[in-house]
Amino acid sequence: MAAEVHYFGIRHHGPGSARRLVDALEALRPAVVLIEGPADASDLLPMLADPAMVPPVALLVYASDDPARASFWPFAVYSPEYQAACWAVRNGAAVRFIDVPAAWGLAAPPEPEPVSEDEAIEEADEPAPPPAIDEVSMRLERDPIGLLAEAGGYQDGESWWRDVIEESPAAGAVFAAVADAMAALREAAPPAQGREAVREAHMRLEIAKTVKETEGAIAVVCGAWHEPALKARVPLSQDRERLKGAPKQKISATWAPWTSPRLAFQSGYGAGVAAPGWCGHLWETSRDEIAVRWLGRIAHALREAGHIAPTASLIEAQRLAVALAAMRDRPHPGFEELREAAIACLCHGEPLVWDTVSARLLLGDAVGEIPADVPLAPLIEDLQREQRRTRLKPEALERELAVDLRSESGLDRSTLLHRLSILDVPWGRLAEAGRSRGTFRERWRLRWEPEFAVRLVENLVYGPTLARAAAGRLTARLAEAVELPVLCDLVLSALTAQLPDAAHAGVERIEHRVALTSDCGELLSSLAPLGDIVRYGQARRTDAAQMEVLFVRILSQGALALPYAVRLLDAEAAQALRASVLAADAAAVLAEVDLTDWRQALSSVVDDDQATPLLAGVAARLLYEAETITPEAAAELLGRMLSPGRAVADAAGFFEGFFDGAGERLIYDASLRAAVDAWMLSLEGEAFTAFLPLFRRALGNLDRMQRRRLLDAVFGRAGAGLQGRIAVADAEAIWLAHLQRLTDILTARPAT
Amino acid sequence: MTDILRLPAETTYAAELEALKRKDDAPTPRGWAMSPKAVVTYLMGGKAADGTPISAKYVGDRRLIETAVATLATDRALLLLGVPGTAKSWVSEHLAAAICGDSSLVIQCTAGTDENQIRYGWNYAQLLANGPSREALVPTPLYRAMETGKLCRLEELTRMGSDVQDTLITVLSEKMMPIPELNDAVYARRGFNLIATANNRDKGVNELSSALKRRFNVVVLPLPDDMNEEISIVTRRVGEMAQSLDLPAPKNVAEEVARVVSIFRELRGGSTLDGKVTLKTPTGSLSTAEAIAVTVGGLSQAAYFDGGKLSAEGLAPSLLGAIVKDPVQDKVVLEEYLEAVLKKRPDYAGYYRALVDLV
Repeated sequence: MAAEVHYFGIRHHGPGSARRLVDALEALRPAVVLIEGPADASDLLPMLADPAMVPPVALLVYASDDPARASFWPFAVYSPEYQAACWAVRNGAAVRFIDVPAAWGLAAPPEPEPVSEDEAIEEADEPAPPPAIDEVSMRLERDPIGLLAEAGGYQDGESWWRDVIEESPAAGAVFAAVADAMAALREAAPPAQGREAVREAHMRLEIAKTVKETEGAIAVVCGAWHEPALKARVPLSQDRERLKGAPKQKISATWAPWTSPRLAFQSGYGAGVAAPGWCGHLWETSRDEIAVRWLGRIAHALREAGHIAPTASLIEAQRLAVALAAMRDRPHPGFEELREAAIACLCHGEPLVWDTVSARLLLGDAVGEIPADVPLAPLIEDLQREQRRTRLKPEALERELAVDLRSESGLDRSTLLHRLSILDVPWGRLAEAGRSRGTFRERWRLRWEPEFAVRLVENLVYGPTLARAAAGRLTARLAEAVELPVLCDLVLSALTAQLPDAAHAGVERIEHRVALTSDCGELLSSLAPLGDIVRYGQARRTDAAQMEVLFVRILSQGALALPYAVRLLDAEAAQALRASVLAADAAAVLAEVDLTDWRQALSSVVDDDQATPLLAGVAARLLYEAETITPEAAAELLGRMLSPGRAVADAAGFFEGFFDGAGERLIYDASLRAAVDAWMLSLEGEAFTAFLPLFRRALGNLDRMQRRRLLDAVFGRAGAGLQGRIAVADAEAIWLAHLQRLTDILTARPAT
Repeated sequence: MTDILRLPAETTYAAELEALKRKDDAPTPRGWAMSPKAVVTYLMGGKAADGTPISAKYVGDRRLIETAVATLATDRALLLLGVPGTAKSWVSEHLAAAICGDSSLVIQCTAGTDENQIRYGWNYAQLLANGPSREALVPTPLYRAMETGKLCRLEELTRMGSDVQDTLITVLSEKMMPIPELNDAVYARRGFNLIATANNRDKGVNELSSALKRRFNVVVLPLPDDMNEEISIVTRRVGEMAQSLDLPAPKNVAEEVARVVSIFRELRGGSTLDGKVTLKTPTGSLSTAEAIAVTVGGLSQAAYFDGGKLSAEGLAPSLLGAIVKDPVQDKVVLEEYLEAVLKKRPDYAGYYRALVDLV
């Protein structure tokens, strides 16, 4: 006998429909539950009811030969699909997915040219819709209820569901109401085409097949949009015709732990959840307490963030939300009313305050767990494949590996190890710390630990392949990092691990941070690592042009800030800034960019009376080295800066800035030496004694020989320092005879 | 034609208010002249029940006005916050006009406002002749509003001293004002409420005590979101003002307004309009009202000194004045903006040159 089929049009990830669905299943007690989802993953469905499985989790289906082509179907605890599966398992009903097999969407694209990684990602994440379908009809298919809610002036589909659909108390009536609405919508919409039509045909066929096989009631749980189409009477042969020519692809499927913030991204069902935290709240909280408890959570979050949120204000917020709902003719305060009331009463009208707490409230912080016995995760498979490709075996004993980055295999190995380190799987540790990017050699110490496999599975949240997981994880870290040096480091690791997308995101973050910071020291000290990136990037053909622009911008911003930053610094701050200025100058000179602004900033530092003398000295020396200041002008400047009229400490600071680490210059530069000499001679005995420690410091890093040469130079014995080493006039003749003798001795020929 | 320079809102828009009241069958709080929904329609524009068109008084987010009206409907006091030039007083006047038909009960708060101007004063001749009595009391706008069940408006609440501000606490929480001299009190009638405005950008104002702040629902009126909206507000107001100042409007006003507004928006928003470059923001508020003032300044420069041509050179000094409020900090911000953004835009070359010369 034919079984009777009951259709439940639901809203994907809608707590309202999940609640009603459970009631309806309980009333109907079907023998079979059919769920919209990839039919070839049906075997995994019962696992959802495993007590060790804690949502949010995602069904992950990927092409066995290429995990980069993968699709995720996330489930939250309030997803009707999840509740239906759990109900079926608990009540002994059969449960199956009926949508087209995931394999069809994951088949390799037919065109022969290789697809770049970006495109592959897009295709994998959401099966590309036929271009004829515009955005509205795409949303219609994915979230018709959200669209209806918007038409009704709601921003939140769940509030609309609650106000409009759930006003009728009987569970069955709710689904009937949805079905009516959808039937009306579909009548007005153009008939299903392309992929959508194929999916609906597949679901109809599966339902028909189940009807034949089953005794008792059948419950079909599908997106509300599809319900009218699944009920439609279409000849089976016509449906079969549609399914012809389906691509073939071997797939693997497994469960992956998910997080509630990631539920907010579009993938799998495509509906996406704008606010997983809000949906979770709706699911957990009993109907009549939704408003007050949500406000309570807001108040709690505000208090944690250090704001004052008194109970009296909570009462007022609740009253305002009710008044707003009444004014908008809504039976209950919904998401928007509660948000606006919270802003007006709890956040003192500042949407910014709301924004600081809303991200956590709306996105939630739930992390899913999966049981230990789920099938192997694709990241581990991908790693095994990579290990075979790069011929690196995981070994528990430590061993060394040297790779040559110039060879392709070396580069591949290095990339793999770098990517694993980003994923917090330190299979290989780079032996020499520090910047080895300049060289073509890397030395790794390899050791595989069993727990690395577990860590890899944890990384599944970021992506199904090593490359994509590493890029995802790096992007997440980039989003958290604030300081420029940290950001620069992360970008460097993105580049070494060959993750251009993450590097690109990092550059954007750097750009953003650069614009916001006004700390001259931070700006300047980011120039050195950035300069490295620019040069490194050119070698690897990454988007060097963008980073060069950024470099120039930071330099000019630093140049603008420098004259203000050098004022009124204490000794410690002055030393720190001096280091940044020196590093920045070196990086800027190496980068071969336009230095006019930078040099101008340096000279304004030299001319500024308020500038800290140490930095004025540094600036003067850099200008002198760049030959922007002539030796005569430098001597004059030194004379002026070190003139007796200036406070001894100021003069000493300038002297230190100018000469520290550059005492050698005095040996070779006569006019500079003359200026210093003249200044020293002009010092009174007492002042001279006061300066002595400073002289020591400035000249102390000269070695013995250099000191002697300096003294020789000062005492006018120019060239005398090299006495005895000057080639004698007839050196050529002597040397030949000498060589002859040596050869004789070496070849043991008797002396002539 | 009237000789009064500016009429109160309830007179200027009497016809609209009448039309809205005529067929208003939505529930109306006691003491209100019309329903909250009609008040929102009055502010945001639309059509009255009988089809009379209602002009928009506030251009911006409807939700903010709804929150403001719902606040007043729950008998909570309303505080309108915002940087200068975001139509706070304008909204408060129209709310009062629509809700109680009288926008004239205003207290302008200043540093010199004392308690007598908030609660009540004394007619000293009466007081000396007959001793304390109700007749000797001089009521304030707040006193009158409580007695008659109307809205009282407090302009620039944070400008008056904190001790005086705190007089409002009893009025707000217990809806009564004691008169200890007479052992009596004024009890507010239904319909009474307070609308205060304050500026959240000024330095040196008296921060509200948290006890008082808690008694207000706060609505922050933002600067316009949309570039075109802002340009049209500026162009319209500049046109009106130029007319009243008898300044001839040069042909290129629209283009220059667009440039000035985009410079303002970029600096205020902290990024270029295409979102590619992030910028620092100066300390000033750079509100729409200031963009209007800059353009009008440029117009008058053009009319009297530059032979009627509105030019970057004429606008630059007022632009500089609007942007650089803090001589050190804002100058760096502006310099960075000039070098990072304007330098690369050929159609802003005039502004770049003029501003670089001035900086």
